[in-house]
Amino acid sequence: MINLKKLTPIPAKRREEMPNSKLGITFKEWKANKPNKHKWRNIRWGVLLFFNFLFWASFAFDIGVLEGSLSGSRFLGIYLMDPFNALQEMFIGSRTGYFTMLTMNFFIGFFIILMFYFLLGGRSFCSWLCPYHFLAENAEKLHNYFVKKKKIKEHTYNIGIKYIFWVGFLLLAVLTKNLVFENINPVGIISRAIIYGPGLILLWVVVLLLFEIVYSKRFWCRYVCPIGVTYSFIGKLSPTTIKFDLSKCGHCRDCQDVCLVPHELWFVKRGEATKEIHFAGADCTRCGLCVDICYGDALSYSIRGFDKIT
Amino acid sequence: MKKSNSEINRRQFLKNGAFAVAAIGAVGVGVNYLKKLNEENALTLLRPPGAIHEDEFIYACIKCGLCVQICPIEAIKLAGISDGLSYGTPYIDPLAQACDFSCDAMQCVETCPTAALDFIPFKKAGEDALIEYQKANPTPGPDYNPFIVQSQSMKATTKMGIAVIDHKTCLARNGKGFKGSPREDGFKGVYRSPNPKRKERKASPVNDHIFNRELCDLCVTECPIGETAIIMEEKIRGNGESIWRPMVLDGCTGCGVCVMVCPSTPNSIIIEKLEVV
Repeated sequence: MINLKKLTPIPAKRREEMPNSKLGITFKEWKANKPNKHKWRNIRWGVLLFFNFLFWASFAFDIGVLEGSLSGSRFLGIYLMDPFNALQEMFIGSRTGYFTMLTMNFFIGFFIILMFYFLLGGRSFCSWLCPYHFLAENAEKLHNYFVKKKKIKEHTYNIGIKYIFWVGFLLLAVLTKNLVFENINPVGIISRAIIYGPGLILLWVVVLLLFEIVYSKRFWCRYVCPIGVTYSFIGKLSPTTIKFDLSKCGHCRDCQDVCLVPHELWFVKRGEATKEIHFAGADCTRCGLCVDICYGDALSYSIRGFDKIT
Repeated sequence: MKKSNSEINRRQFLKNGAFAVAAIGAVGVGVNYLKKLNEENALTLLRPPGAIHEDEFIYACIKCGLCVQICPIEAIKLAGISDGLSYGTPYIDPLAQACDFSCDAMQCVETCPTAALDFIPFKKAGEDALIEYQKANPTPGPDYNPFIVQSQSMKATTKMGIAVIDHKTCLARNGKGFKGSPREDGFKGVYRSPNPKRKERKASPVNDHIFNRELCDLCVTECPIGETAIIMEEKIRGNGESIWRPMVLDGCTGCGVCVMVCPSTPNSIIIEKLEVV
């Protein structure tokens, strides 16, 4: 939304000059180039399902590896805190004087999560751990199918409104002295449903998913969820990110088709990139779908500045 | 070209932003309305030990459920959507499964990361008891066991509520005895008997305990706190006839074991929540 640096784009090359242009390449050749088209997606879903399974198993079999739920947990005795919940607690606490009561474990958990997700890319929480993301990612495919079949229309909004929601939910929490967001938070609801058994409140998640399928793609994750926004603040300057190499790009924009937050891949459009190397921004969930699909390996996981050391 | 694009963007942001603000406002109004509805409802939910005042508890609790997971007898449950804004917060239903302190050291309180269950008073009580015990026993003998003293004082610090006995249905008050297991068949509740003869280390099912009492006094004998919480009191009527009845004292912690073991139907004891802090 805000683009302070107005750099002039690098002039676009001609198709023939592009090393990895898909022009004239058959599907067979493409397939041979990318034998495992779902490598990162499979790893990611594996991690997501494993950790949510671990949450469930820790309580069900009393093994105590990963106790609690996604709003607050304990991994092998180390406390972990949902950062948005923690922020709300601290804001309400500084109004009511409850702040001084908060335990050391609370702050330890909060800072561990901040450091961990700073190193691993902020919104990587979304695609690598969030159970709602898993449902919504599959709902998105359904949505795309319906749009393709022209059964429904696509409705998009401005992605900037998530910051309004973030500020709004924090303000609401302080004004009403209640964790307002936690009552409607599908992440916590699903996490608790997995661990402590389902309840009627899952209907709210179903409503959200239906809305995302039939009306607006990824409505909650893209425009509302303040947890994601909090993580995006953390991951703004995160070292782990997606690197884009202009010299390898064929500008087919397949990556933008599969990307969960396509606005973060604005530089793949022909004649838009301003630098030879671009890094994906704060909203990127480091899901790896673009890495999987990229024909010329122009997009890859990288640790920022690491190549300068070695 | 570029300018008009950003102009469209700005307009869309303002338009959608207004919608977002309206949505947040609607949620705020809804929460405020629910909060008022919730005030009476929340008083009926018996919170786990160490819970701070309900007004603070409702925001201090982040609904992670760590207290639910740590409880060895699964006494703590999470409230459902029918409890309104209390959704996801922990509560204890003593009729189904009371808190019998079989974890010995307030584990649910200690585990709470946000101090919705505040460990500080328990810690202080435990340390004070330890110091006193060490003063009384300067040389450790064979019976030296500070842990029991510490956990006993922590238990006594608990104030979840207070037991209230309905004397109309109470068996003892009506001069009746009791034989057999206290609860209906298939009842799954467990507790650790304070009876020293049983020497229980772990909680066992309520119905595994078979009683044979001339005059029913289960609530008194099975109380984990002991005689500072509940005693049998003799009362002599005008016609010289003496009757015995259980009396709840100030030491009652509201743990609800008496509710769980009470054999009369309908149950003669309820736990009333206190306005703490």
